[in-house]
Amino acid sequence: MFENRAIGLALVLPAAIFAAALFLLPVGILLSEAFRTETGWSLSAYGEFFASPRNQTVFFRTLKLATLVAAVSAVIGYAAAFAIVSLPPTSRGRMFGLVTLPLMISPVARTYAWLVILGRTGFVNQILVDLGLIETPIRILFTETAVFIGLLQLFLPLMIISLVSAMENMPRDAVPAARILGANWLQVFWKVILPLTREGLVIGGTLVFTGSMTAYITPAILGGSKVLMLETLLYQRVTVANDFVAASVIAMILIVMSFSANLLLKRLATARKSR
Amino acid sequence: MTNENFVSLRDLTLAYDKTVAVDRLDLDIRKGELIALLGPSGCGKTTTMRAIAGLLTPRSGSVHIDGRDVTRLPPSRREVGLVFQSYALFPHLSVFENVAFGLRLRREPDLDAKVMAGLETVGLTDFAKRQPADLSGGQQQRVSLARSLVMHPKVLLLDEPLSNLDARLRLEMRTELQRVQRETGITMVFVTHDQSEALALADRIVLMRNGAIEQAGTAEEIYNAPVSGFAADFMGFETILPNEAGGGLAWRPGAVVLGSGPHHGEIRGASFAGERREYVLESALGTIKADVPVSLPRYEIGQTIAFDLPRETAVELARLD
Amino acid sequence: MNSRLSTWIILGLTLTFLIGPFLIIIAAALSAGNNLAFPPQGLSLKWFIKVFEVESFRASFGVSMFLAIFGTLAALVLGIPAAYAMTRFKVPGAETVKLIVSSPIIVPGIIVGLALLQYFVIPLGVGIGLALFLAHTALILPYAVRVVSASMENLRVDMEEAALMLGCTRFGAFRRIVLPNIRGGVLAAFILGFVTSFNQVPVSLFLSGPGLRTLPIDMIAYMEINYDPSVAALSALLAFMSIGIVFAAERFIGLSRYV
Repeated sequence: MFENRAIGLALVLPAAIFAAALFLLPVGILLSEAFRTETGWSLSAYGEFFASPRNQTVFFRTLKLATLVAAVSAVIGYAAAFAIVSLPPTSRGRMFGLVTLPLMISPVARTYAWLVILGRTGFVNQILVDLGLIETPIRILFTETAVFIGLLQLFLPLMIISLVSAMENMPRDAVPAARILGANWLQVFWKVILPLTREGLVIGGTLVFTGSMTAYITPAILGGSKVLMLETLLYQRVTVANDFVAASVIAMILIVMSFSANLLLKRLATARKSR
Repeated sequence: MTNENFVSLRDLTLAYDKTVAVDRLDLDIRKGELIALLGPSGCGKTTTMRAIAGLLTPRSGSVHIDGRDVTRLPPSRREVGLVFQSYALFPHLSVFENVAFGLRLRREPDLDAKVMAGLETVGLTDFAKRQPADLSGGQQQRVSLARSLVMHPKVLLLDEPLSNLDARLRLEMRTELQRVQRETGITMVFVTHDQSEALALADRIVLMRNGAIEQAGTAEEIYNAPVSGFAADFMGFETILPNEAGGGLAWRPGAVVLGSGPHHGEIRGASFAGERREYVLESALGTIKADVPVSLPRYEIGQTIAFDLPRETAVELARLD
Repeated sequence: MNSRLSTWIILGLTLTFLIGPFLIIIAAALSAGNNLAFPPQGLSLKWFIKVFEVESFRASFGVSMFLAIFGTLAALVLGIPAAYAMTRFKVPGAETVKLIVSSPIIVPGIIVGLALLQYFVIPLGVGIGLALFLAHTALILPYAVRVVSASMENLRVDMEEAALMLGCTRFGAFRRIVLPNIRGGVLAAFILGFVTSFNQVPVSLFLSGPGLRTLPIDMIAYMEINYDPSVAALSALLAFMSIGIVFAAERFIGLSRYV
């Protein structure tokens, strides 16, 4: 550690000023839009926003989908992560690489794939028609189901990564020991695996939840204007109605959500370090 | 300046935030002297060394080296070498390039010859092309030493030079440092928390405590005549009691007489140490450590025996604390 | 129950879900037909060739490349000194600075894009291109600072001090000792920044003008009008590009150590 504070400050200032001027300032002004009225400061914009049934629908849909995606990815994530850590080291590394691979691929490309699969003439409809289960293609695209599937595919890797690293830190013999003591798999999960990987679950869950909450591409491509989520609603309000007050309210909701999730993560991380 | 104060610290005060690490320290180091800064962790010995190196800026006071005031000079302009406790070799450079590093910056001629001569001093000419990571701890330390020596510094500072080495290497390195010092006549200051290292290696020991000098003197002076309870404790006196004059009396374990005397104590621990047997006694005077030749009668744990702390084998301390 | 078998069944299903769609895209892109479909109608490479002939793709690819390369470089120019200061100096208000620098990760991109458009581009008359560049730089900055800080923390401070003792200035010690030893971290930060910027959509949504769009935005716009497999072909190409870069990075510098 060097002593000279002035040099230290001079080195961080460009980055700090850059981030402050380009991020905090404009975003701060945007957030203040909702509080400013012609007569002064007020919270009425929030009341008006939530009074609209459409906005309510979008708000609760976003919450619902994000929660659902986090919950389902936790279930699949536990199964997949447990399978991965039970592999021998070399194939474990390879499998981990395969699971994280999708994160490198453009979300546009990943979401686009579902158009091919879920579209009216898509893969799924073809199979269903060929099997005689349905007569005419059903609508899957532009439904909540499509958005849900897209989000799940987008964010599941984050959950698996978090759970795999949590499981790798688990005492090696915990599960066999519980099995020897006569616990069945359900008991092993509730009494051993879940408590020992809770941190990984919270981290993964937070990442998936905030990711889904603030997703744009997936609801835009797979949900369209029929299944709006907060970000697509924001885009629509601005481009269609030039409604910056609504945009400001949505921005506040999204930032508060992401920020509290981030704080939670940070608290967990420091709690782990001090232990 | 004379040879008596080749390095001279005057009224040196250093602080980290609000904690004073070194408090108004005065110290003179002779030319060609091998001096040890000794003390427990937090006593300010490392801080003092870093102030000589120029890695820390004093809050007040001055540092003079060879008659020049270097207090405000950066490390690069002080002509001081420093062998780090971690060796701090540059991992991306070969052994040769590590040693050549400072010479290259100075654009010295005959670089190859000088580097190889430096490696020769520490017996590592065959390792010139290796990477630091391929070397053992002892070899890394010698590279670090060579890297400093080729710069011909006026003062060579060494931070805990023996602490990371095993017992055999420690002896080897000790001999090596003494040889280098003899051959080059360089002034060396090393920092250690280990009194035996200081006693074995240094011409003069500076014992530090709470940012100030507790006692300075030759190994014999400090070992035989500590001035305070702290110094005595550091020099291996295990039994320290107050005397009538407000000072103290100190006995080494070997100075305690067992089997007779005015005091009584219960044996709490006993262990065999080759030619001597070591005992721990619990008595009205406190815990007493004693060791006696194995030829004397043997006591068992739990036994209560008489013992004596003879006045004539005690060392008088000016201060008890 | 055979646990080995169930392990592979679970992993098979998971990978099918995660990677299957991507394989379907490749298959659909190889179609000889004119409509997006799976299974493909005949095999051909024509859509892969078509991609290179679409003028807007070529332009937006250039825009995205420029942003990813120079945005990341700019983020590193700002981020390396900041990371150095935060790992080596006692910076007054270090926590606040950290929070400010990492804020672009916390604030959803779409909001940043909108805020920049509304309160930076429009009132100050700044060009969309410059705003895009600055937005991407700011977006990558937190990654750059984080990854570079991590490798600086692993580098012992006493090496720099040793260099100072041997005659280096502080900047010289940074250049000769710190930089060569954090090369891997800097490269990792560059790759992470590049991929993040290249795939980024929300920040760029509001920051596009006529003839100035990033590639992902352009792809979304194209697929809203056309239903041919060229976007599939382009998606496949981009995916291969990203995967190739990341794999090469893993092989040569061990990317996963830094991220």
